[in-house]
Amino acid sequence: MVYFNYIEQILMSLLILVCIGSFCFEITKRFRIVFKGEGSLPFDNIPSRLWRVFEEFLLQKKVLQQRFIPGLMHAFVFWGFIAFALITIDHFFRGYNSALFTDNTRYFYSLAFGIPWSFLVLIGILYLAYRRFYIRPKYLGEKISYTSGIVAIFISTLMITYMIDAYWIVYDSHPSALTFKINWWIHAILILLFLFLIPRSKHLHLVLSPINIFFKSFDNPNHRAVPIDMEGDEEELEKLLTGMGKLTKSQTLDIFSCVECGRCTEVCPANRGGGVLDPKHNFILDLKNPIMDTNNVDVIGNINVEAGWECTSCQACTEACPVGNEVEKADETRNLQVLVEGNVPQEYQKLFMNLQTTGNTEGATSSTLSEKLPIYDGTQDFVLWLGGFSKYALDPKYGESVISLTKILDKAKITYGILAKEKCTGEPANKLGDKLTYNMLMQENLETLKEVKKIITMCPHCSINLGTEYAKYEKIEYEVYHHTEVIEDLIKNKKITVNKNNNDKVTFHDPCNLSRGMNVTKAPRTAINASCSDFKELDENGKNTLCCGAGGGLWWKKETVGKTHLVRAEQVIESGSDTVVTGCSFCYGMMNQGLGPLTPQDQEPIKVKDVADIVAENLS
Amino acid sequence: MKICVLMKQVASEDSPLKINSNGSGIDETNLNLITNEPDTYALEEALLIKEKTSGEVTICTLGPDSSQQVIKDGLAKGADKAIHITIENLKNVSPLSMGKVIYNKIKDENFDLVLSGLQSNDYGHAQLGIIISEYLNYSHASLVIGTEVNEENSLKIKRELENGWFQSAELTLPACLSIQSGINQPRYATLKGIMSVKNKPVDKCEAKELGISEDSGYKVEEVFLPKKAKETQILDGSTDEIVNQLTDILKNKIKVG
Amino acid sequence: MKILVLIESINNKIHPVSIEALVAAQNIASENSVEIYPLCLNKNLIDDLSKFKCTKVLNVESLDLKNYEPMTYLDAAEKVFKAMDADLIMLGHTYETRDWAPRLSARLDIPFLSDCININLSDSKLIINRPIYQAKLIQKIALSDKGLVSFQAGSFSSENLIHENSPSESLSIELNSYDSIKQGERFQESAGGVDLTASDFIVSIGRGLGKEENIPLAQNLADKINAQIGASRPVVDAGWLDHSRQIGSSGQVVSPKLYFSLGISGAIQHLVGMKGSKQIIAINKDPNAPIFEIADYAVIGDVLEILPKLTENL
Repeated sequence: MVYFNYIEQILMSLLILVCIGSFCFEITKRFRIVFKGEGSLPFDNIPSRLWRVFEEFLLQKKVLQQRFIPGLMHAFVFWGFIAFALITIDHFFRGYNSALFTDNTRYFYSLAFGIPWSFLVLIGILYLAYRRFYIRPKYLGEKISYTSGIVAIFISTLMITYMIDAYWIVYDSHPSALTFKINWWIHAILILLFLFLIPRSKHLHLVLSPINIFFKSFDNPNHRAVPIDMEGDEEELEKLLTGMGKLTKSQTLDIFSCVECGRCTEVCPANRGGGVLDPKHNFILDLKNPIMDTNNVDVIGNINVEAGWECTSCQACTEACPVGNEVEKADETRNLQVLVEGNVPQEYQKLFMNLQTTGNTEGATSSTLSEKLPIYDGTQDFVLWLGGFSKYALDPKYGESVISLTKILDKAKITYGILAKEKCTGEPANKLGDKLTYNMLMQENLETLKEVKKIITMCPHCSINLGTEYAKYEKIEYEVYHHTEVIEDLIKNKKITVNKNNNDKVTFHDPCNLSRGMNVTKAPRTAINASCSDFKELDENGKNTLCCGAGGGLWWKKETVGKTHLVRAEQVIESGSDTVVTGCSFCYGMMNQGLGPLTPQDQEPIKVKDVADIVAENLS
Repeated sequence: MKICVLMKQVASEDSPLKINSNGSGIDETNLNLITNEPDTYALEEALLIKEKTSGEVTICTLGPDSSQQVIKDGLAKGADKAIHITIENLKNVSPLSMGKVIYNKIKDENFDLVLSGLQSNDYGHAQLGIIISEYLNYSHASLVIGTEVNEENSLKIKRELENGWFQSAELTLPACLSIQSGINQPRYATLKGIMSVKNKPVDKCEAKELGISEDSGYKVEEVFLPKKAKETQILDGSTDEIVNQLTDILKNKIKVG
Repeated sequence: MKILVLIESINNKIHPVSIEALVAAQNIASENSVEIYPLCLNKNLIDDLSKFKCTKVLNVESLDLKNYEPMTYLDAAEKVFKAMDADLIMLGHTYETRDWAPRLSARLDIPFLSDCININLSDSKLIINRPIYQAKLIQKIALSDKGLVSFQAGSFSSENLIHENSPSESLSIELNSYDSIKQGERFQESAGGVDLTASDFIVSIGRGLGKEENIPLAQNLADKINAQIGASRPVVDAGWLDHSRQIGSSGQVVSPKLYFSLGISGAIQHLVGMKGSKQIIAINKDPNAPIFEIADYAVIGDVLEILPKLTENL
């Protein structure tokens, strides 16, 4: 056993104190800022939260999902880190001439865990360094990250010094005290320097990611309600307005947890369409310096406004983030622009005015579709909530899909009626920052829905607002169902029989509001598989779907920097399908708009259908 | 700097326009009423000038009770006070009569600037803003596409001319400007602005008390739908059929290249 | 009845709309006892004006204005109107007219009917038609007494102008000077713009095209038929195209052999810029779009569906 003298122990103790002290100081500083954030950190549903930490943190689920090989390499380094935990503690014990392991345990632990993992970690870190510094994928950023370089060198050296130590253990060789101590000190100092480096860099995710994943909301998106009381007093208003510029505790924690991997930007439809929006920078990293410099969270105003207007609010960024960040902040920045600054793009001013004066986005006074349907009188099973898209024919053909749904409901002997007083749920106003108009429409709709128990709607934007969003403001007594959920139910309970008569090459475009927003992916597939014999998935499907480009109020945006609305359409064309089925009115409209100009001359135009259409077409 | 903005409430473009039963005007039920869009540019310009010179903006509107909404919207955007001259119906009042009534109300206010939208999108006379300049004996300019307030007593403006030409001019203050659309980007009212409306003063009075004249010097005898001078041929059918018809017209009838 | 026709000067020549106003006056004069007095403030125009049939060409002795001076125009017009004891003033409706005619109306206390499309005199009653609500409706107005009327470009045709040598007179009228409005330089902003007035075929883009990204669809059609691209004002305002492409009252006024409008609704300011076109084809989703009123061929449909197929077919 090599002996460490008192001077060495004192030196070691000092170093440990300084590094741990620094580590704690920096972490505390950041947590202090987190606690200045609005709202509170959630402690509900603990079992589900813990399970999610297990899946996403321990099992590296999202890390592996997006980018498999780099993800696997990262998993090696991370799992190696865990395998080495005990080894590291034992290492420091030995510096005090003590030990955690007996010699025997150390021997077997090295053979079973230490050595294999040290190789995997080394391979992992060398591959990751190669990828970051040689291949230079664009999502990792233009600038070379020096901290990553330092970390790569540290980890590699740590592994090599360990391997040397393990060699001595396994082969029971006894190096000279000097050699041993040099190797030991290098290893120890690197670990302590690591402690120094972690809180000051993106490597803080090592500590924060499990915490951040634990606190992540189960709602996607998870934006604060902005209740506006027109009769309220000045003080209440001031509080509301100042609050709007601030991040929540959870959002602040996100900023410190960000590992800068760029997965959020990689999946962002606005970015992929050539737009300005880069979620990694615009929604997260741009805010880091402001919060550190001001030591406070009043930084929503630092978000790039133009980028904020391009977001379709599809939540792909939040879904992709491996450290549990709720990335998208378009809601917050738009609220600020509209309610506090009065900077509303011209095209949206008309939209808001129409919502205020006529209760719909188009300024229309009549709806031809409404005239064809029965009125709800309190006795029917469901209120059929039409939504402005179908009522005012934002896509001229979509009304037929609504009729398809009525055919299915009729077949199943389910009664329904529309509400004469139905006004826009306010979704465009909600998503575009005009919470005042949103509150107004919501109050009116809630009044109309007072006695209603069950609502069925074809538009997931409507169902999310009537359900989750309204519930943030007031207690709701009704239940909202998306039509694909009801159709699945009818098929499963054999209330309708669907024949597998459709032989087209069919694919399905998951509406982002349905798959991510409402967690519904199976229901539409039940319907498609019951009616179509040749169904193939698109590459990005289910909860990883690529937004059609219409969300976040962008359907009404006339001028865009990028071609967000064409990216998904191109994917559909490249899939070689004859028919694309979807489950949202906006997706339907977007597919029609995008497929037309992009379909090559020699190709047949791709048919666009709603789930209701393919089921109705194949009802027996 | 004291600025007055003349604003009007009109029927929106998408309102269903029907002729009333005796053909003397339009059917006023079911009209969607909004602030005249050109006036929103004038208001925005006034607010921008106010911000540069620290002044006060007063909205002046002549119209029925429903015009209150125009005032509310304008005050919410940042105007300081308003004048509402009430009148039951503006339909047959000539711009000259409107000008006289407004002049009678604002002549003692000593406004440095009176701004108005280029025209109202209903009757499109495009005169009120300039008529007022004559009564007030102010300098004037129309089709103003840019303003630059200089020292206390002068104002530089840019006027829009036809065919992509522009002209600059220097006006003495006080002045009347009729503002061309597109000069600026009208703002949206902030939440604070909307809440502050209830604390801003609105001076209400009746047009009758200000000497509104029933006689416009002319009478609107009839309102009718325009007759088409030429026969319009409607091309019908499926997209392909329409395309074929158009191809035929372009190649054979018009003989394009 | 005495009609004073105010003649506008442009590039030192008679403005075409002033000729049209003169035609309007001559129309009324043909069946009634009406005296026509064109008034020009630019002495260069007197000779040409004297070749047209009227009672007398007037000018002011002390004035020879090549450029617009609002208060001087006002002063001269007011004094001549009063000196002649005229009943009616007619002029073309231009941006210049918009700038000063309302003030003249207030000064003389006579109503101003602007941007009119027709005028008739029957039983000593003057009946004037003017469009309202963006030309969706027409008002038929009877003037009670004296008045000021301006005419929309294209309402009367210069081909109907009656030529006959007429006398002229220079009036000695004392005018005031003023300095409240100093006119500056005229300038253009779009350097090297396209001259659409010289094009035989124009394909014009409106908001109905949806997004800026769809412009190539229109360009492809234009290329196929050798046409230039024009645009409505909202399209230029939105920044899709340069101002030099704008057609309408604040853009270029064109009268090509073919005007093919895509997704343009036909607001009055746009129609004014192209209604003189020989053949007009219009595609728009809205069956009530005013452009269909003046179109020779109307297609109620989706321009985005039709365009690519049409281009391919040609």
